[in-house]
Amino acid sequence: MVRVTNLRKHFNGHKVLAGINFRVRKGEAVALIGPSGSGKTTLIRTINGFVIPDAGTIAVGGQEIKYRNPESLRQARKKIGMIYQLFNLVERTSVQVNVMAGALGRLDRGLSLLSSTLGFFTRQEREKARELLGFVGLEDKVRERVDRLSGGQKQRVAIARALMQEPELLLADEPIANLDPKASKKIMELLLRINQEKKITLITVLHHLDSVRDHFGRVIALKEGAICFDAATRTLNDHRVQDIYSIEEEFACVAAQAGSI
Amino acid sequence: MRCRASWQYLNGTGRLWWWSLFLVILGFSFRISQVDVKSLIGGLYQSWALGREMLPPDFSRWKQVLTLAAETVAMGFWGTILGILISVPLGFLAARNTAKNYLIYQLAKTLVTLLRSIPDVIYAFFFVTAFGLGPQAGVAALTLATVGLLGKFYAEAVESIDEKPVEALAAAGSRGLSVIRHAIVPQVLPLFMGYNLYLLDHNIRVALALGVVGAGGLGVELFTQMRGFHYQKAAAILVIILVIITAIDRVSAYLRNRIIKGGFLHPGNRLPDAALLAAIGVLTLISIYFMPVDFKEMAAGAPRIWEFLKGMFPPDFSRISVYLKLMLETVGMGISGTFLAMALAIPLGVLAARNVSHNPVIYNLAKEITNFLRAIPDLVFALIFVVAVGLGPFAGVLALGLNTAGFLGKFYAEAIENVDPKPVEAVEATGARFLQRIGHAIFPQVLPLFNSYNLYILDRNIRYSTIMGLVGAGGIGFELVMTSRMFEYRQMAAMLLVILTTILLVDWLSAYLRKRVV
Repeated sequence: MVRVTNLRKHFNGHKVLAGINFRVRKGEAVALIGPSGSGKTTLIRTINGFVIPDAGTIAVGGQEIKYRNPESLRQARKKIGMIYQLFNLVERTSVQVNVMAGALGRLDRGLSLLSSTLGFFTRQEREKARELLGFVGLEDKVRERVDRLSGGQKQRVAIARALMQEPELLLADEPIANLDPKASKKIMELLLRINQEKKITLITVLHHLDSVRDHFGRVIALKEGAICFDAATRTLNDHRVQDIYSIEEEFACVAAQAGSI
Repeated sequence: MRCRASWQYLNGTGRLWWWSLFLVILGFSFRISQVDVKSLIGGLYQSWALGREMLPPDFSRWKQVLTLAAETVAMGFWGTILGILISVPLGFLAARNTAKNYLIYQLAKTLVTLLRSIPDVIYAFFFVTAFGLGPQAGVAALTLATVGLLGKFYAEAVESIDEKPVEALAAAGSRGLSVIRHAIVPQVLPLFMGYNLYLLDHNIRVALALGVVGAGGLGVELFTQMRGFHYQKAAAILVIILVIITAIDRVSAYLRNRIIKGGFLHPGNRLPDAALLAAIGVLTLISIYFMPVDFKEMAAGAPRIWEFLKGMFPPDFSRISVYLKLMLETVGMGISGTFLAMALAIPLGVLAARNVSHNPVIYNLAKEITNFLRAIPDLVFALIFVVAVGLGPFAGVLALGLNTAGFLGKFYAEAIENVDPKPVEAVEATGARFLQRIGHAIFPQVLPLFNSYNLYILDRNIRYSTIMGLVGAGGIGFELVMTSRMFEYRQMAAMLLVILTTILLVDWLSAYLRKRVV
């Protein structure tokens, strides 16, 4: 589903991604962990084209992402859903309108481009948005304004927006970092349910190791822009965790790449 | 309270009702100000034709033009100086925390509000009628308009000071003026200086337009050349006006920035700052050399104004129905002009916003067009459009629309540049196209700001639509000129009262609407 080959990126002489290689199979759920500044967010943003890599390639669904071609990039983004730490919703509009934004990529030609720009959608699309809001458990908030929702509810709206795209791949950048423990648990369960029921591949940046152990079969750890752990979650023992998050032992990073490549 | 009445909480029927009301008012305004598709297309063609006749600009009279330009700058300078002299005491009297006597406070505040609500050109027209043609009328008009603006700015600055030093000085036994001098002036001085500079910039721009009604300066020459069909000579004047305005705009923006941020004449900035101070020195010298007013003569003219005012009393309301009809046309012009400005400003604002407009050529082009539209005073636009599309309200609508499209375009662009980028990225990440991103992620964020700007411009345009008639561009202004030419001062007084009442009414209505919509 996702194939990352030899990915490199630096900002102002500072190396952020130093040759990343991994594959994610269709339907897999992968947690991406690592200390702050290890390049997790950059990696995620390279997959949906908001960061242009210096070298290396990424293919999603067998199609390589062409960063210099806006139209092809847009086509690639249509099948990638994205969940953010701060939800990134348009606060002043209704829940439904925010979810409808997920359909914009489909409605990109002729009359439907015009009407969707002005905020008019077909009955079919509106029904779909309502159905997805039911799926994430917000059927009673359809017409509510987003700025009146709680953090957990906002993240559900963002998930419904991503599902509206009918994505093949779902990326999440610290989706629960701004939520309380109860809401966090529910959001993680929802994401995993989407992964299992809808067979949507899931890659999530997470800081919360308990969540990782509870929900994910596979973990990729980044450290200083390189992969230092990529294996089944059950092999992630305390010693490994210490390695990943240690600052003193700079070279303790063992390339324990197993299974996936 | 605000939530209950806000637009966001209106249901479908409520919104439909407001939209229909909006459309009815708009249609009615278009009708009475003679705006329709045919006239718009015709206007475009006629303006194009006039533009071609203006090229190339004829600079053969450059000596006279430059002298007049200096006189205009001097008018702006002295209007500002006189305005500052009056505004300083008035500002303290109109501030709640420094005015000791409540009655005086209310009087000062009302006076400032009244002065501010009347368009500067109306003052110019009034003083031209009272003093006769020439720059003296212009300086007097600028002075009054300056007091209206500065009086309010000063009072607000004084009201927003930190009270602790005032209390400390009062506790130490200081009283009255000494407290103001030592506790308040140091706090408000940078703000006052910033406002003064802004007013200087503003007044020089206004001074360029005042001549159009005969109040001296470059505007007189522009008016004469346009009326004499010397379009190439007029174009040369327009170019010079544009150069002056652009230069002053840039310099004053830089200086204000410096004064507010501090660091004026600090190491590293000494050279450019010294150059700027030299520029201001030159400006002062020009203003003294091309002294537009003889203060003795002006003082001698004061009794004439008194006579003139007595001649206006009692106002003659015998033709009130005509005035009201004309006033309706005037308001219609203001509404149509605002709508035209909005229609032009939306694409301009989007393309002049750095975070949306990624093509540097388009971005800079859009920005320069907004600057250009903002720089040319609406009365100058009116003068041009009266020649291009003929006398009548349509020329006024075009003038108001184009000039305020410059303002709105700038406001819109700034609002768009300040949106939260996170939702915009999220919508882009769904694969949405450019227009869809604007419609779904940017527009909902800027809508309340846009509404408040639109209302401000509507208020302003209705006020300024009253002066369009002074150059024949429709509305009540034309009738004002005609009655003054026939020395019917009592009728003129009645008309001025109708204008003032309308302006105050619109002021009040727009303040009310702003509270509800935003």
